[in-house]
Amino acid sequence: MNHLGSLTIFFGWIVLVSGLWLLIFFRTSISDAFDSLEYLTHQQWYLGGIMRSLHRYASDAMIITIALHVFREFSRDTYRLTRWFSWVAGLPLVWMVFVLGISGYWLVWDELAQYVAITSSELLDAIPIFTSKMAANFLQDSSLSDRFFTLMAFIHLIGLPIFLVFGIWLHVFRLTSPKINPPKRLMAGTLLAMLVLSLLFPAVSQNQADLALAPQTIELDWFYLHAFPLVQIWSPGWVWVLLTGISTLIFLAPWLPPGKALKPALVDLDNCNGCQRCADDCPYGAIQVMPRSDGKRYEHEVVVDPDLCTRCGICVGACPTATPFRKRTPLVPGIDLPGSSAQHLKETIDEETETFPLVLSFACTGSAELAWLQAHDKAVVEVSCVGQIPPSYLDYVLSRNRAARVLLTGCGGNCQHRFGMDWAEQRISRERDPNLRRRVGTDRIAMAWHEPWCSTGSLNAQLAILEKQAVETGE
Amino acid sequence: MKIVGQLIAYAVFMVLVGWMSVRPELRLLGDEDAMVSLSFSHAARRVGECKRLSQEELLALPPNMRKPDECPRERHLLQVELVMDEQTVYEATLAPTGLWSDGKATAYQRIRVPVGEHDFSVRMNDSGVEGKVDFEYSTTISLQPGQNLVVFFDPAIQQFRFQ
Repeated sequence: MNHLGSLTIFFGWIVLVSGLWLLIFFRTSISDAFDSLEYLTHQQWYLGGIMRSLHRYASDAMIITIALHVFREFSRDTYRLTRWFSWVAGLPLVWMVFVLGISGYWLVWDELAQYVAITSSELLDAIPIFTSKMAANFLQDSSLSDRFFTLMAFIHLIGLPIFLVFGIWLHVFRLTSPKINPPKRLMAGTLLAMLVLSLLFPAVSQNQADLALAPQTIELDWFYLHAFPLVQIWSPGWVWVLLTGISTLIFLAPWLPPGKALKPALVDLDNCNGCQRCADDCPYGAIQVMPRSDGKRYEHEVVVDPDLCTRCGICVGACPTATPFRKRTPLVPGIDLPGSSAQHLKETIDEETETFPLVLSFACTGSAELAWLQAHDKAVVEVSCVGQIPPSYLDYVLSRNRAARVLLTGCGGNCQHRFGMDWAEQRISRERDPNLRRRVGTDRIAMAWHEPWCSTGSLNAQLAILEKQAVETGE
Repeated sequence: MKIVGQLIAYAVFMVLVGWMSVRPELRLLGDEDAMVSLSFSHAARRVGECKRLSQEELLALPPNMRKPDECPRERHLLQVELVMDEQTVYEATLAPTGLWSDGKATAYQRIRVPVGEHDFSVRMNDSGVEGKVDFEYSTTISLQPGQNLVVFFDPAIQQFRFQ
């Protein structure tokens, strides 16, 4: 579930590579289009046939991953406020993928293609800008030209893919280090699954299109063509009302209702030495490194773009000046989060560890884990994201003996802020600046990222293990 | 256990993709059905006769717009009726296209009909004269299962055709 976007792109790669192979053998004419695909499917089944099946099944799989991707972002509420851009930019991508898929079915020129050509023409004819009926071209062979196939092939093979690549770039434009590729194991497994499916159930054409006949029964690809039967049941106009209505709702979703605007991260130049760690760690590219403006001896300073800041606090976790060991009161780091400041974090830790709990947990805002810990009266500190916790705070808890163990949890295995879990893990394992000091044993820090569908029972078990460890070591 | 779970997830994914790419089948026509597709574009007659301009009227116009005849651009509505076995299966009044209503009107309708022998009549009024049939064609056709019978107006012979 963490790689739905990148998995969609991976399916896109399969579609592209297999499509290039099909292009070599495909002939763009009424009589030859069908025959060239029949040749690939049957005579060259071991390569062309598999490529054709991969082309279809990877295209279909894209629809599943796109749907899950949209649902996931919607359910996690990661489409409002500053994130509206990626959400809105994703909508044309969905339309383009559908048009690509539908136009691909035209090129096969079998009975399904005939149905798709007539029905999609009827849909287009319902738009009151065309003076003649496009669907009329698909009622008699005499009205159809080979050049039409050339046009469709151009749209399917060159025109739309170019716009699609541009659309993907725009979709991830505001993200730092977007995940373009899924993990290698997932790629390998997915490709293998597609290959097995292609071998077991090769994609084949239906009967060759014959405009003198009306297809009686067709095998419909429900991923791409699910709206087509509605054209016959309702009317093309009502199908447009449905499709544009759904699209408009999705488009406006970030503002229905608008998310609660929160104050972005705040830079305090008196404490900022321009080290850039916050800019490196920000998942949204909201922090820019600029030349120093206050005359201090440092070369750089950082500036927060409030339009991009999601207020995750990961920048605070990256700031070396955010340390509870500082004597200055109140504790003001180079970059801070209004309403959930470094000072507030220290005060909450002090409050929660007054009675020396065996385990002090840090949990993300809004997570089921936080709710469970609070409901069971466990010592817990709420943070915007686990990436908000500077390693020095963990050092503070453990070296000052405010608790025996620390548990980081939240976000149900899917970091709400993309890299919060990764950065927290890397800082604790001393792979990423700022590192956890070596005097703190990493065996005293546990991390629990549960998938959303897992019960919080496993969290309870993990807490029990940590408490037992603390008791056994006499801490 | 984790590997088994992953294998099951891949299998479910494969079955879902493989199944929904072809199933369930969509039934478009019954075994005893055929299709009649009425489709054509035709420009109805203009709403008025051309008027020859007088010398004074011509001189009143800018030099580049001086044409001897002034013709109205607007066309009549097109009335079309398709009758099968004395039952009207399609009847429409079609407006001409274009901002000035001076383009062709387009008829497009697909009608599912039972197979067998049928008497067809198609009528069209393009003159705007109430009750007048300007074009008419009748024929008897035996339709086969799944046949697509196209009814259109052939501008070359100014007559309807069934194909």
